[in-house]
Amino acid sequence: MFEMTPKMGEFADVEPLSISTGLPDELCEIMYTDEYRELLGIARSLMARGELSERALRLTGRVIDLAPAFYTIWNYRFDILVSLSKDLSNDEKVLRLNEELDWIDEFTLNNPKNYQIWSYKQCILQNHPSPVLKRELPILKFMLDEDTKNYHVWSFRKWCILFFNDFSNELEFADSMVERDVYNNSAWTHRMFILKNLKPTAVEIKTEVEYIMRKINYVPQNISPWTYLRGIYENFLASKYDNNIVEFAKKFTSNVTDLDFEDPNVKLPDIESSYSLEFLAHIYSLQKTTIINAKRAYMGLSSKYDPIRKFYWDSQISRLH
Amino acid sequence: MHTQFATEKHVKYLKRHLGLLPSSQQSHDVNKMAIIFYSLVSLSAIGIDVAKEYGSSAQWICRHRIALESSGSKVALSGFVGSLTLDIPNTNTVSLPNTLFALLVLRLLKCDEFFCSVRNRETICAFVSTCQVAEDGSFTSVLANKHFLPSPLDASDLRFCFIAVEILCLLGCRKLQDYSKYINVDKLIAYILSQQCDSGGFGSYGEPHAGYTSCALSTLSLLESLACLTDEFKELTLLWLVHRQVSDEGCMQLQCKNPFFDEEDHGGFQGRENKFADTCYAFWCLNSMNILQFNTSATLGTFESAKMYLLSRTQNTIIGGFSKNDVDDPDLYHTCLGVAALKLIEGTFNGVLFLPSAIDVSS
Ligand SMILES: [Zn+2]
Repeated sequence: MFEMTPKMGEFADVEPLSISTGLPDELCEIMYTDEYRELLGIARSLMARGELSERALRLTGRVIDLAPAFYTIWNYRFDILVSLSKDLSNDEKVLRLNEELDWIDEFTLNNPKNYQIWSYKQCILQNHPSPVLKRELPILKFMLDEDTKNYHVWSFRKWCILFFNDFSNELEFADSMVERDVYNNSAWTHRMFILKNLKPTAVEIKTEVEYIMRKINYVPQNISPWTYLRGIYENFLASKYDNNIVEFAKKFTSNVTDLDFEDPNVKLPDIESSYSLEFLAHIYSLQKTTIINAKRAYMGLSSKYDPIRKFYWDSQISRLH
Repeated sequence: MHTQFATEKHVKYLKRHLGLLPSSQQSHDVNKMAIIFYSLVSLSAIGIDVAKEYGSSAQWICRHRIALESSGSKVALSGFVGSLTLDIPNTNTVSLPNTLFALLVLRLLKCDEFFCSVRNRETICAFVSTCQVAEDGSFTSVLANKHFLPSPLDASDLRFCFIAVEILCLLGCRKLQDYSKYINVDKLIAYILSQQCDSGGFGSYGEPHAGYTSCALSTLSLLESLACLTDEFKELTLLWLVHRQVSDEGCMQLQCKNPFFDEEDHGGFQGRENKFADTCYAFWCLNSMNILQFNTSATLGTFESAKMYLLSRTQNTIIGGFSKNDVDDPDLYHTCLGVAALKLIEGTFNGVLFLPSAIDVSS
């Protein structure tokens, strides 16, 4: 892969600027390989004299392969690229930056955990004369197929959608990710991000609530759709929880909020979802007449359904009166 | 099942990272300052007198400070590089994270005279000031290659906001008007507020993340500006945080279809909804809960189960160190965060500054 050391090749004329090591009281001294010393020696020399050339661009690629965390080499690469493309015609510039995007994609596939690449790519797209969203979607899909909850990739996807102002694929895409793993919270928050930007109609929101209900029916003990459901009511329905949704949530709780908790013989039933109970507790706590039901819900969470958070549920109970 | 903190093993594991490193560590060369900081802060938290054992290296640490000259060779700004490999003439290679790590290391090594120099303080504060992005008030971690401007191709996010503000704090800023001398505090706070999520917590584009949440709350705490958050949002954030603790009790057992659930994670914390627990998030979540002042006696159970998770599941009692989970090998970052979380639970660690409480940062 690294057949020729750079000194022997096109950099024969460059006096390397060697890395200094072996100093007194040095900590974490690294036993560098010869390849690293030589490559970095030349890179440092070129950076110091600010050489903006094709060979310098190639060299940054080799340094990035060897030490992707070298943050300033990215800046240097960008400066070289800007300089090399400043006198190009529009078409030539498109070709040049497309080449760079191809290089980025290849690097990304080989270094899926590197996150510097995403902001670098943003910058290239911002400087591109005619960027295309369609070019970005396959690699994004591939990356999320490999690592379905990668925060940087999801963030970059949302940045792209805003940058290109194109929301047309996104609900379908979010749905495909939820379909694959109904627990994928990144997919659910992506869906909310899209919905907020699309300004849906009342009918569309009604359809959306039905969509969530189907996902909850499939797996009731899943925090993501319950959080999403509350988000829908807060963002689009002025937090007006109707009877339908209360009845829906109650389905999973064996009517535990109707039990008399004062009765020492009361036996708490098994329920299907602590999140449905928590959802109900929230709704019940909003109105004086149902405070008692909210208390019962929190008591159930505290003693049986979600006891690891007991201190939190107990603090909610003591705040309700 | 081991539930004792394997002090000697951890000390050995940490000290190994400060010695001669094999070439396999080469890719971390440019962030060596992080290795030094994670090792020293962990050793110090465990109770090793690092100033005594490593104090003579303070001079060498200071060599990593690079002064950047503006035209007319007047020193305009300065900051630290992560490794002398990045000491390159005519190039802006200093970074905010490495500057913070170096300053914290100098504090750990009790190199107080560094902090007495007005010129050191003023030029580093000027560097921090230059990293603030004019449009939205956030911070990048590095400058552009040749100009004293935020790098156009760096991410700007809550991590770097926190790092910027802590650097200013370590250099003497205490009150809002101190910070305002160097940065636009109003814009920064507006940026932080823009990262609030509907369900509580902070993150980009509405997806909350425990790491970003800790950064946001720590920044507001340093700026004494937690009051910018509504009570309702603080309440939601606390609820979001307590939900990050993974449990195998009650209804939480009904997750057999969840590919990212493991009941053995009981007591540990996850960084986001429906993810496995991970050592580092115990720190980020507990620190956030501390800042929101919910570390009362009632929360003892929470802290105790987190401690059990760390000691019995991610602590390595053979070679020392902590790993991310029960599968991976231990690594330095998770060792540091695991130690910090345990010391936070013990009450001997300042989570906002990320330093043992005993370290003096006042002079
Ligand atoms: Zn982690």
